[in-house]
Amino acid sequence: MTTSDEAVAVLTVEAPPVARERSRWRLALPVGVLAIPMLAFLTYFFFYPALALLFSSIQTQDSRGIIGRPFTLAHYARLVNVELYARVLWTTLRISIITSALATVLAYPVALVMVKSRPMVTRVITLIVIAPLIVSVVVRGYGWQLVLQNGPKGMLNWILMTLHVVDAPISVLYTETAVVIGSLHVFFPMMVLPLASALGKIDPNLEDAARMLGAPWWKVFLRVTLPLSMPGFVAGFTLVFSLTAGSFVIPAILGGASAVMLGNLIEQQIFVVYDWPFGAAIAVVLVGLVLAVNGVSMWLLEGRRLRRPD
Amino acid sequence: MDERFSGFGAFILYTITAGMMLFILAPLLLVMAASVSDSYFVTFPPQGFTLKWYAKVLQDRDFLEAMRLSILLALGTTVGSLLFGVPAAFALVRGHFVGLAAIKGFLLSPLIFPALITGLALLQVLNKLGSTDARLNLLIGHIVVTSPYVIRTVVTSLQLVDENLEDAARTLGASRLRTFWRVTLPQIASGVAAGGLFAFMVSFDNYPVTMWLANSEYSPVPLVLMRQLVNVFDPSVPAMSTIIILMAMVGVLILEKLVGLRRALAA
Repeated sequence: MTTSDEAVAVLTVEAPPVARERSRWRLALPVGVLAIPMLAFLTYFFFYPALALLFSSIQTQDSRGIIGRPFTLAHYARLVNVELYARVLWTTLRISIITSALATVLAYPVALVMVKSRPMVTRVITLIVIAPLIVSVVVRGYGWQLVLQNGPKGMLNWILMTLHVVDAPISVLYTETAVVIGSLHVFFPMMVLPLASALGKIDPNLEDAARMLGAPWWKVFLRVTLPLSMPGFVAGFTLVFSLTAGSFVIPAILGGASAVMLGNLIEQQIFVVYDWPFGAAIAVVLVGLVLAVNGVSMWLLEGRRLRRPD
Repeated sequence: MDERFSGFGAFILYTITAGMMLFILAPLLLVMAASVSDSYFVTFPPQGFTLKWYAKVLQDRDFLEAMRLSILLALGTTVGSLLFGVPAAFALVRGHFVGLAAIKGFLLSPLIFPALITGLALLQVLNKLGSTDARLNLLIGHIVVTSPYVIRTVVTSLQLVDENLEDAARTLGASRLRTFWRVTLPQIASGVAAGGLFAFMVSFDNYPVTMWLANSEYSPVPLVLMRQLVNVFDPSVPAMSTIIILMAMVGVLILEKLVGLRRALAA
C-alpha cells in the first residue's frame, strides 16, 4: 500500500495553472449537465421523501390510519414526556457517547502504530481493521452473540472461568454493555481511518524537536501529537456517534429488551403499532441529533477552530 | 522498528493494538469455527468437525432464493449507481458552475443521513405512489445509499487524471466522447471499478434500507439471516454467515488490488 500511496502523492501535485485554465474554458457549459440525472434522482427519492417524513411528523393519524390535519407537535412532546420513550432517547445518547469515547481511546494507539510502523505491519493492521467493515453487520452481531453468550458455554465466560477471573458465568448479552461492544466492533474503523490520516500528516520533525528538548513520550503525545491530530479525532468521533445513534441491527441482536435504541423504537412504531406520525417524529429527532453533531464538527473543522493560537 | 517507538510507551501502544486486532477478529473467527462444529447449539470450545450445516444451507430454498435476489439486486444497484454516479462525478470535478460545492454536498448527503431513516422516508413516499413492486423499491433505495460511494471514488480518481493528455487528444482531432472513451476512462477505470464493487458490497449487506422496502416474498440475504437468528434459531446460521464472510473477503482483496483499501475508504 505504501508504494501506491506514494504514487498517489506524486500524482496529486497540482497540474500547471495554464492547463487548468484552458480546460475550464473548454468544458464550462456542457459538463454540468451530467450531474442532472443524479440530482433529479436524489431529489425525488431522497430529498423529497425526507421532507415528506418531516411533514408527516406534525400531522395526525385518524382511526382509519389516514394521515392529515390538524397539525400538532404532540408526537414530539410524547417522546420527551412519556418515561418509556424518554428512556430510549437517553439510552441512545448514552450508548453513542460511550461507544465513540471508547473508540477514540482505543483507536489512538492503533492509528499510531498503523502510521509509524514498518510497511508490512501497517499493511497487516490496515487489512485487519478494514476487512470486517465489509462483512454484514448482521453477521458481526451474530459473532458477538456467540462470544458473549450467557452461561458457561460462551467464549467470554469460558475464558474468564478458565483463567479464574470469575467463578460463575457473568451475563453480558442483552445488556447495554453488549450493545456498546458490538457497536465498537462495527464502527471502530470509522475512528481509526480519519485518525490515521490526521496522524500521517503531522510533521515528524515537530515530535522529534519536542523529544530532543527533553519531553518524555507521554508529554510529546499530549502536547504535540494529540493537539495536531484533532481534525481526525473530530471527524472520527462524529462518524462513530452518528452511526451508533442510527443503528438498528446491533441493539436488536445484542441488546434484547434491555437496550432498545431509537432505531428499534421507530421500527416498532411503524411495523407493529402502525403509528406513522409518531414513528416519523422519532425519526426526525434522530436525524436532528445526527445533523447537530455533524454541524458542530463541521464548524470546528472548517473554521480551523482546532488550531491552537500559540 | 522505528526508533521513535521505544520503552514503556511503545509497550502500551503495541499491547492495545494487539488487543484490538484480537477484538476485531474474535467474533468472525468464532462464527467460522461454529460453522464446522458438530453440536446443535454453539458451545465454546467448539466440538467435533462436520460440513453438514453447509450441506443444509446449500439445500435451503429460502436461503438460495435470498442469495439469488441479493446478487441480482446488488448487480442492478451497481449498474444504476454507476450510470447516475460516474457522469455526476465528472460534472463535479470538471464543471465550474454556481453552487458546485452545495451540489457536491447534496449528492454526498445520503452518507451522513442515517440509512434507517432514508429507508423509512422512501417507504412512505413509495407507498403513497402505490409502488408495490418490492424489487423495484429495493433497487431505488439501494441506489440512493450506494451512489455517494461511487461519486466519492470516481471523483478521487478523476482528480488524478492528467488533463494535458485530454487536450492532446482533442488537439489531434478526437471528439469529446472519443476522448473520454479512449483517454479519460482508461485512467479512471480502477476508480470506477472500485466504486462499482463498493456499491455491490454495500447493497449486498445493506440492512437498514432493505428492512423497510423488502416484503415476505422478496427478502434479501441480510433479512433472511436476521430472521433465522432472532426468531427461529437455526444451527445453519453460522454456515450462512461464513459464506458471507468469505464473499466479503474476496471483495476486500479485489478492492485492495484495484485501488488500495485505505484510499478507497478514506477518500
